[in-house]
Amino acid sequence: MPTAYPLPTNLSPATVANTASLIRIVALALISGAAIASRLFAVINFESIIHEFDPWFNYRATRVLASKGFYEFWNWFDPTAWYPLGRVVGGTVYPGLMATSGVIYNLLHAINLPVDIRNICVLLAPGFSALTAWATYMFTKEMKDASAGLLAAAFIGIVPGYISRSVAGSYDNEAIAIFLLMFTFYSWIKALKQGSALFGTIAAVFYFYMVAAWGGYAFITNMIPLHALVLILMGRFSSRLYVAYSSWYAIGTLASMQVPFVGFQPVKTSEHMAALGVFGLLQIISFAQLVRSHVSSQQFQRLLYVGVATIGVLGAVAFAGLTYKGWIAPWTGRFYSLWDTGYAKKYIPIIASVSEHQPTAWPSFFMDLQFLIFLFPAGVILCFRELRDEHLFVIIYAVVASYFAGVMVRLMLTLTPVVCVASAVALSTLLDTFVDPTESEAIEDNQNENGTSTPPTNGTNGTNNGTVATSTAASSKKASKKTGGAAEGMTLSDILAPASAPKTKPRGIYGLDTRFMVIFNTICMLAFFVSHCTWVTSSAYSSPSVVLASQNQDGSQHIIDDFREAYYWLRQNTAEDAVVMSWWDYGYQIAGMADRPTLVDNNTWNNTHIATVGKAMSSPEEVAYPILRKHDVSYVLVIFGGLIGYSGDDINKFLWMVRIAQGVWPNEIQEPSYFTPQGEYKVDDHASPAMRNSLMYKMSYYRFAELFGGGQAMDRVRQQQVPKVGPTLDYLDEAFTSENWIVRIYEVKKEDPLGRDLKSANAFAQGKKRKRTRPAVRRRAVV
Amino acid sequence: MVYLRSLFLIIAGFAAGINAKSSTGDSVLVIVEPKQQDNYNLFFSGLKEQGYDLTFRAPKAEAPALIEYDVPAFAHVIVLASETKVFARDITPQSLVQLLAKKTNLIVALSPKQTPLTSLAAEFSLTLPPPGTPLVSYFPAREGPANVIPVSVPAKHTILSPNLHPVWFSGVPHTIGNNPLLVPILRAPAESFASETDGGSADSLVDSAERGGEGLWAGSQQGLVTGFQTLDGSRITWVGGADVFSDEYAKKEVSKGVPSGNLQFARDVAKWTFQETNVLRIDRTTHNRVNSTESLDQYTTNDQIEYAAYISKYDSKTGNWAPCTCLKDLQLEFTMLDPHIRTALLPVAAEPGKYATTFRAPDRHGVFKFVINYKRKGMSFLESSTTVAVVPPRHDGYPRFLSAAWPYYTGAISTSVAFFLFSAVWLASEAREKKAKGHKAE
Repeated sequence: MPTAYPLPTNLSPATVANTASLIRIVALALISGAAIASRLFAVINFESIIHEFDPWFNYRATRVLASKGFYEFWNWFDPTAWYPLGRVVGGTVYPGLMATSGVIYNLLHAINLPVDIRNICVLLAPGFSALTAWATYMFTKEMKDASAGLLAAAFIGIVPGYISRSVAGSYDNEAIAIFLLMFTFYSWIKALKQGSALFGTIAAVFYFYMVAAWGGYAFITNMIPLHALVLILMGRFSSRLYVAYSSWYAIGTLASMQVPFVGFQPVKTSEHMAALGVFGLLQIISFAQLVRSHVSSQQFQRLLYVGVATIGVLGAVAFAGLTYKGWIAPWTGRFYSLWDTGYAKKYIPIIASVSEHQPTAWPSFFMDLQFLIFLFPAGVILCFRELRDEHLFVIIYAVVASYFAGVMVRLMLTLTPVVCVASAVALSTLLDTFVDPTESEAIEDNQNENGTSTPPTNGTNGTNNGTVATSTAASSKKASKKTGGAAEGMTLSDILAPASAPKTKPRGIYGLDTRFMVIFNTICMLAFFVSHCTWVTSSAYSSPSVVLASQNQDGSQHIIDDFREAYYWLRQNTAEDAVVMSWWDYGYQIAGMADRPTLVDNNTWNNTHIATVGKAMSSPEEVAYPILRKHDVSYVLVIFGGLIGYSGDDINKFLWMVRIAQGVWPNEIQEPSYFTPQGEYKVDDHASPAMRNSLMYKMSYYRFAELFGGGQAMDRVRQQQVPKVGPTLDYLDEAFTSENWIVRIYEVKKEDPLGRDLKSANAFAQGKKRKRTRPAVRRRAVV
Repeated sequence: MVYLRSLFLIIAGFAAGINAKSSTGDSVLVIVEPKQQDNYNLFFSGLKEQGYDLTFRAPKAEAPALIEYDVPAFAHVIVLASETKVFARDITPQSLVQLLAKKTNLIVALSPKQTPLTSLAAEFSLTLPPPGTPLVSYFPAREGPANVIPVSVPAKHTILSPNLHPVWFSGVPHTIGNNPLLVPILRAPAESFASETDGGSADSLVDSAERGGEGLWAGSQQGLVTGFQTLDGSRITWVGGADVFSDEYAKKEVSKGVPSGNLQFARDVAKWTFQETNVLRIDRTTHNRVNSTESLDQYTTNDQIEYAAYISKYDSKTGNWAPCTCLKDLQLEFTMLDPHIRTALLPVAAEPGKYATTFRAPDRHGVFKFVINYKRKGMSFLESSTTVAVVPPRHDGYPRFLSAAWPYYTGAISTSVAFFLFSAVWLASEAREKKAKGHKAE
């Protein structure tokens, strides 16, 4: 066979295989290094600090776990959160992340490496990203081959869509969850391919770890049954599927129920019913097959099918009945909001108010995935060419995850792995085709169909697939016929599948120039991808958001550290049991950095409590004051960005507070009254009275105009001119305002000792004359 | 806090020596016009006898200051300068309120004239009649002007001594607002009214009614001497006329052979205002599980909790705090936002001063407070709040092996046994088959 370029001939296959595996190991090591290194921008640009909001809680919980042990953590009741309701942390948390850090911490201390728990927390996500790269490699290897696996590992290692959740310091559940997700999927594919109960059990164990680590485990809970169901519907039921699924489901479900937060949900909520249903279906089908293989009569077999169908229908009816009776919890609001993007805004504003629950904007797909998003469909289509069971998995995963990623920004994270896998498959197929030196002669026979797209290093994998290929020979033949028909007219598959049109003149790649062009082009794309990823990571995803950075005029970095300034002020200047009220976004940070009780935090489990805070913030002072006193609030903290133009401040979030409060008190708080008659959201002279009297507005703009020394005060976030005479406060005292006015803290005044309302007490203290009152009439009116 | 405060009070008590009769200190500043100072000699000497240390200051004098470096210089202040229109700069309504907030007690005398103090009264929910309208009464028939009135004192009163003789009063009445912190001490006689004293003609009556509008200042709803206890515990007494304390009225007979009760009345008012009588405090509170003495930070739901409060009353005769079993209506609340439990805190017979109760913690986790909030007119307010957490049982704190769960135990055990038997049978049969095969092969 002619080759495009000379190949060494004196190498033994063993040498080739050894060298290839060495190169793979080195490549994986380098990929891990790159994955970890690119996540360290946050530490280098800022410092080793926990980022954002949720990580602060995870960090605090981990510290408890590390210092007091697992059982104390399990039984931890946090009286400072959700004051005065408290939070049963042990029962309302996914402990996987903290347990992982705790194990690492104890391990390191056992070998006398006294590493600070904070550094473990900060560096956990980068560390696990290396494992994710490895898991993705294993997964992709099952799809195609090791070279595709390496590409996928490289992609997932540096793709911004995943880095956004796993930079150093982003100590969140997702940090380890993606690794668990990929490894569970890998084990599932492996179990399905081999019909192995061992791999099914491994999948179940990692599923359990995933359940313990992230609420997104429901994705696995539904992906695997969906895959199994599709396989059944396509007539691909096999004992391998039965063994893999049954072992995964039985062990995985029992294990997942050991997590206190999950408890009996797997048998009680609708989200988990698909898995149970498919499990039942598999039992029925396998039972039917068993009986069929032992019974010969045609009529009896028909009866059997009817019986099986009846059982299935009865099961569905029973499920509906149980749901109706309330034994099985119906779908939750979060679930509905996945199908109807407007649902949350209407019924559960608290979910809609989270920015990461918003629908994804188109540019962010490119921002997070760059050229992978173009390769992704190609990879999915390539999966149709062979359409083995595992390819079906990727196809289903791709479809489902694409939809979810479009609905919610944060679900971009679950899309990213499949994009990397599919793109790697596509890109490696392209490279295989153009690197492969063989040049086809005239007419090849059909056997070479796969050969052109399989690189020489594919030896081990090929044999692996061989067993599978034979067992599903019938179905995959059918499938390939179909796809062959469907793929007509697609240029890519025309190029890649020369055998699909064997009658015409031979096709293939000849000469070095075409190869060089395509490969050069590909390398350029990859290079741009790397530089894009680096740029996005360093500029967009590495900000701790606790510390802000801006640029001075000379280009040097200027650090804005208002949050920590204010939190430390609270920590050092207030009583230890002083309750701080703020909007829930800052609850975890206050608990973590200021160590003070908070009313609400980012664990948004009690809508009414949050609505109470929303009501206090959006009501006039005299209405808010009893609420504050009832909840023993000593300090109120607001975020105000008007001075330096920090747009994530509370005035911009204010409408959500109003909406959430309105959901609970529709008669007292009405969203329209916070707009001007023209329907505009204003903070200037035209602001509506409800807006101007609200506690939030008053706290934000209190003494703001004075800062401009008589000039026109300008809110730089909303680009509006604030009234020259600012609001006055009677029930609160300004206690602290940070350097750039981002954080403002107010102290709630005690009741007046004379029993007056604080407004008139204030008026008296300022020397204002009280209107002369007359005694109440005691005479009764003549009837 | 309660501990600290009581400790402070004890130390203060020792420092002041045996003479100290007030629970909060014995330094008294009297603001009085020097000319009138001698009118109140009996009252002042009575105070001195009790051990008070009096300092006099003219209303316009600059020293001694009321508040020095944000600390009140005196424990008690008596303002008898009821007709003074212009005070020194540091004596303003605002500074008097500030004094109250800093735990200083006040006695303030009013007069029919419009003074800065008149406007201050409004802050205490007291409404005064228009200027120049003192209290007038023509009953009982007597010699002397109509605005010098003998007022009979209620026989039983929480503040006053029992069975006091009527008290001479001349001055201005006030109506008492609905502020719950007010403590009426002396009410106007039913026949009295506020009016200009031009002989009490019908015209003047109509005039004053018109000026006052619908609310005619008349009748026994008006107060003459009214106490006020702030939420911080400091006390202020408003007296309609300074003459109540005067020597003249103290000596003046109400009727033949019946002396007036003014002197005793003044002493009683001063005793109450200067925190000698009706002064209670919570020494300490304890809480623990039943059958344990350890005070916990957190209890488990449904725990039986024992709570006790130790209350003592100030005894001005000895200057000591003595355990007090005097409260019959004390209540304890176990509160999270709202009281989940409200129960009577009854005196324990064996231990004077101890009030205790036992209750079951609610079946609800959260941050709870033991709250005592005892506010009765004329008595010191008793307030105490202790925060504890009520947590769900620990993971190993739940009951085990419930009889109700036997169906599940049976299910689990039978499945395990069945699986074991099945495996055993399976393995055994496989071995036999192999053997059989082996035999065949042979």
